[in-house]
Amino acid sequence: MAQEKGTAVPVLLSKAELLKQGAEARVYRAEFLGKPAIVKERFPKRYRHPVLDEKLTHRRTVQEVRSILRCRKAGISAPVVYFVDYTSHCIFLEEIVGSSTVRDHIASTQQSCKDQELERLAQQMGQILARMHDEDVIHGDLTTSNMLLRRGTEDEESDLVLIDFGLSYISALPEDKGVDLYVLEKAFLSTHPNTEALFQKLLKSYTASSKKSSAVIKKLDEVRLRGRKRSMVG
Amino acid sequence: MHLTQELELFPEHRVTLLLFKEVKNAAELRKSAMEGKINGALINPTMLVDPFQVLVAANKAVHLQKIEKMKTRNLYSEIIFNLSPTNNISEAFKRFGISDGDDSVMVVVVHNKDESQLLTDIVAKVDGQQVSVEDISSMSDSAKIKKLYKVTPQEEKCGTLLDAVVCRMATKDVL
Ligand SMILES: Nc1ncnc2c1ncn2[C@@H]1O[C@H](COP(=O)(O)OP(=O)(O)OP(=O)(O)O)[C@@H](O)[C@H]1O
Ligand SMILES: [Mg+2]
Repeated sequence: MAQEKGTAVPVLLSKAELLKQGAEARVYRAEFLGKPAIVKERFPKRYRHPVLDEKLTHRRTVQEVRSILRCRKAGISAPVVYFVDYTSHCIFLEEIVGSSTVRDHIASTQQSCKDQELERLAQQMGQILARMHDEDVIHGDLTTSNMLLRRGTEDEESDLVLIDFGLSYISALPEDKGVDLYVLEKAFLSTHPNTEALFQKLLKSYTASSKKSSAVIKKLDEVRLRGRKRSMVG
Repeated sequence: MHLTQELELFPEHRVTLLLFKEVKNAAELRKSAMEGKINGALINPTMLVDPFQVLVAANKAVHLQKIEKMKTRNLYSEIIFNLSPTNNISEAFKRFGISDGDDSVMVVVVHNKDESQLLTDIVAKVDGQQVSVEDISSMSDSAKIKKLYKVTPQEEKCGTLLDAVVCRMATKDVL
C-alpha cells in the first residue's frame, strides 16, 4: 500500500470533471463509493494572510456542513453530506441528479411564457425560505443559482433544494433575515428582468408561511430604504 | 454474497463487507479481534441501515489514518467509531461493536486488490451462516437507529433514514 502521507483528495480532483470555477471555490463532479457526488473545494486566496485565510476557509466549510444538517433536520431539503476533508477544505455532497438551478429554470420558463408555473415556483421559494428562517438559519448568499430544482418529482414542496451555505450563520434577529431577503431581491431582480411582480409573490408566500414574518418584512423595508439612500449618496 | 467496493480516494484499497447470521462464536470472535487476531471490524448489524453507511465509515477511517488524525487505536476501531453519531469512544463500541451474546455480525475488511485470502480466513473463523450483505435491512432495528441518531419525522420527509444517518456521521466532528 505505497501511498504518501496526507490527504488523497487533490489527486482525485485532478482527474474529476470541473463544473464550476468560482472566486472562492471549485465545484467538481465525481463518484463517491459508487454514488454520483459533487465535490466543493475551497482553495487558498493568495492575497490573504495564510493563517487568516486558513481560518476563514475552515470556518466556511464548517458553516456549510452545519447549516445543511440543521436544515435537513427541520425537513428542509439540502444535499446529503457524504464526507468532509478539513485539510483540503473539500466537502463531498450528494449530487442532485438531473436538477437545474432555479436561475436556469426561470430563464427558460420566462422564454416560453409559462406564468403560472413561475408563480408556483415563487410560492415554493417563499415557503422554503420562511421555514429556513423559522429555524434561524441565515443563508448569507441567497441567489437563484443557490437553489436547485429537482426534476421529475410531482411532490410540490420537496423539489426545491437549497445549496451553497458557506456564508450562512445562525441568528434569530429579524434584521438578519430581512437582509437575507434583501440580498435575494437584489440578485433576483437583476438576474431576471421584469420579475417585480413575481418577487412580490415570493414575499407574499414567505409572509404567509413564516410565523415571524411581520418583523422580518418590516426590516426588509428599512434595509431597502437604507440601500436606496446609500446609492443616492454614493 | 459479500460486497466489495473500491475507495475512489484510495484506488489501491478495497473495502469488503461480509454478513453472517446464526453466529455461535461471537464471544470468541470478539476476543480474537481485541487481541488483533482478526483483520477486520466486527459490527453489530442492528444499528446498520445499509451497506453504504459502513462504506462511509471505512472511507473516513482510511482518510484519517493517512493524515494521521485517527481518534482510536487502529483502522478497525476507527471504522466502528465513525459509525457513531457522537464523539464518545466507549459509547460507540457499546452500540456498534459486537457483544458476546450476539447471533449476527457484519465483518468489514480493508484490503488490497489481491488479498482474497484475507476473506477466506474470516469466513473460516466465523461459526455461522454467511448471507448476502443486502440482507442487512432485515436485521436492522430502525426504531433504535432513529433514537440513537435522533432522526425526526420531519427529516425523513426530505430524505431517507440512510441519508439522515450518513449526514450525521460525516459532520459529527464539527457539531
Ligand atoms: N449537490 C449538488 N447537486 C447538483 N448540482 C450542484 C450541487 N451543488 C452544486 N451544484 C452545482 O454547482 C454550482 C455551484 O455550486 P455552489 O453554489 O455550491 O458553489 P459556488 O457558488 O462556487 O460557491 P461560492 O458561492 O461559495 O463561491 C451550483 O449552482 C449548481 O449548478
Ligand atoms: Mg453558488
